Amino acid sequence: MKSKATFFIVVIVTAALLLLSLFGLHLGNFNLKGANEMRYGIDIRGGVEATYTPKDLGHAPTSDELDAAKAIIETRMDAKNIFDREITVDTTQGAVLVRFPWKSDESDFDPQEAVSELGETALLTFRGPDNSVILNGTDVKKSYASLDQQTGTYDVVLELTDAGSAKFAAATGKLVNQNITIYMDDTQIESATVKEQISGGTAQITNQKDMKTAKALADKINSGSLPFSMEAKDTNIISADQGGGALSVMIKAGEVAFALVCLFMLAYYRLPGLVACIALVLQVVGQLLALSIPQFTLTLPGIAGVILSIGMGVDANVIVSERIKEELSVGKTFRAAVSAGFHRAFSSVFDGNITVMIVSIVLIILGSGSMLSFGYTLLCGVLMNFIAGVTASRLMISSLIEHKSLQKLWLFGVRRIAA
Amino acid sequence: MNEKVINFYKHRNIYFIISICIILTGIISALTGGIKLDIQFQGGSILKYSYTGTIVSKDAGDIVESALGRTADCQEQTNMVKSNQMLIVNLAGNESITPEEQKTVTDTLTKAYPDVNLRLSESLSVQPFTGARFFRNGILAILISFLLILVYVGFRFKNIGGFSAATMAIIALFHDAFVITTAFIVFKIPLNDTYIAAILSILGFSVNDTIVIYDRIRENKKLLGPKTPTDYLVNLSITQSLTRSINTNIAVFVSITIAFIFSQVYNIESIKDFALPMMFGTISGCYSTICIAGPLWTMWKNHRAKANLKKA
Repeated sequence: MKSKATFFIVVIVTAALLLLSLFGLHLGNFNLKGANEMRYGIDIRGGVEATYTPKDLGHAPTSDELDAAKAIIETRMDAKNIFDREITVDTTQGAVLVRFPWKSDESDFDPQEAVSELGETALLTFRGPDNSVILNGTDVKKSYASLDQQTGTYDVVLELTDAGSAKFAAATGKLVNQNITIYMDDTQIESATVKEQISGGTAQITNQKDMKTAKALADKINSGSLPFSMEAKDTNIISADQGGGALSVMIKAGEVAFALVCLFMLAYYRLPGLVACIALVLQVVGQLLALSIPQFTLTLPGIAGVILSIGMGVDANVIVSERIKEELSVGKTFRAAVSAGFHRAFSSVFDGNITVMIVSIVLIILGSGSMLSFGYTLLCGVLMNFIAGVTASRLMISSLIEHKSLQKLWLFGVRRIAA
Repeated sequence: MNEKVINFYKHRNIYFIISICIILTGIISALTGGIKLDIQFQGGSILKYSYTGTIVSKDAGDIVESALGRTADCQEQTNMVKSNQMLIVNLAGNESITPEEQKTVTDTLTKAYPDVNLRLSESLSVQPFTGARFFRNGILAILISFLLILVYVGFRFKNIGGFSAATMAIIALFHDAFVITTAFIVFKIPLNDTYIAAILSILGFSVNDTIVIYDRIRENKKLLGPKTPTDYLVNLSITQSLTRSINTNIAVFVSITIAFIFSQVYNIESIKDFALPMMFGTISGCYSTICIAGPLWTMWKNHRAKANLKKA
């Protein structure tokens, strides 16, 4: 009997997804990140969030300027070994947003100092083998990535100022077959061998790995001529013990609440209640995977979104269970009652979900930060509610009632049949 | 129909009075105590340090003031669970401070109190215009959501007079937004992004509640025919969905209450500030559907029916 097995298939799929969401999946290069590698917002695990805007700049920063500013911040964070970070350029606000965790074991790490250092003007220097400065960042007019059509390699092109050209021509004349190294602050960002004297005011750093690497290097070089420093007037720093506490408390509260809801559903709705619990697990697991796989940042308002969609999920199951009960109490057969129950419940679950979906999409479009996180988790939750609360629940109940032994009214919480 | 139909419509005036009282409480507390916007919305700076031992907060305030040249107010807070203390430095005014200035505060305080193991626990600094933009976007999101809900519900419930039903649903949502705001004001929780999240969650629950009832009305109208009196139709639909309304809301209310209890025990303010108003919001969301949207819509329908009768 194919249909009898459906219930177990759904349960197995749910269990598999549960394991996936708990531990993730790592096969060679194939990586799916589970909840154990969830990216949490700083309000949950602690960290630093800062919005950098140009200091004393007369005009709105161009997107090239912002890219250069971002390159500075990235290089400095590399130097500080902060690799787990999010740096985004917001061209409409003319700002660079930086977010990174503050781990509890870094007791000597001073977040306030780090935030202020990241924004300082970058000192870019081209140095010879003896460490003497050949060029400064301001000697470079412009730098950009390009694809050499003849050789098919990616290059970074430097256009120098007149003063820069003269200095560079003199230096490269002496340094043929020797290295010139480019530093940002004290971090080496590139080292290249001089092939011949460069006197035309245009230099090329050849053989970059790909366009992205070339663009990153060009951005870093451009940052040397950036006429402004960046300042973080909007900052939020939360220590790990402050944030981490919130997470473990939320997890504990979530477990207790989930257990109570399941007990309630089981006690009140019996068999449909059991199905509801499995469907809820599936829904939450799907939601967690939708967060952890693309590494979407989960914040406290995001958890509020999870709570709201669990509420929606409970509701879908309650509506369906009530409807099945109603149909059974007017004397319908189990198959007919389940079919009619789902059919009748669908329009209300559908309209409720679509409405909440509309709200979540508005939030994703309009919101930033916490509102975005709320909207995204809510949208995933509602979509999962369609899959779990509507489709999976239906598959499970329809399959279970194929077992004669489960066709008992008390298993559906029905007390009497109306004559 | 041998089912017992509860007459919700009959007691509508009582519900309206209860709701008006709650809203008035909110307005009066807002007028007397004021609405407190958090730093996130109005700009400003706050720094929190953990320490062990004693710090006289007034002295600490003076130290920060002389180092920064800006009025500062310091408060102590004791954490029962972690058995440490917090020094909260509030800088007056809405201007944010730079990371350099933040560092000055930390360094000055560490120098003044070398023996208390002073450590930065949290800092928040927001420029007034960033805060205002954030607040504006939040309110805009809520209003646009209202508008789209109005259109969607109006469209989907055309056969029960779509637009009027949608309008009453929106009134119920405003009611819930008011109740949550009242909870924030009465419990003196400053309005921040938690507030926006709470409002949006409750609006989601509440509109879902209303739609479930409307869906039943839509279905019953098809079953019983267009001549059925509106108040019977509404009472019947609410009665039939009552178990569902109670069960769903119990599940949600219990979950939120557990979150509140845990946050209270472990003193996690961010969750407490969310869970407490949510508890009121959950009740309000259920109440506003049964006692506000349903009866209001019935009144409107009855009013229209009378008006049509006069015309004819």
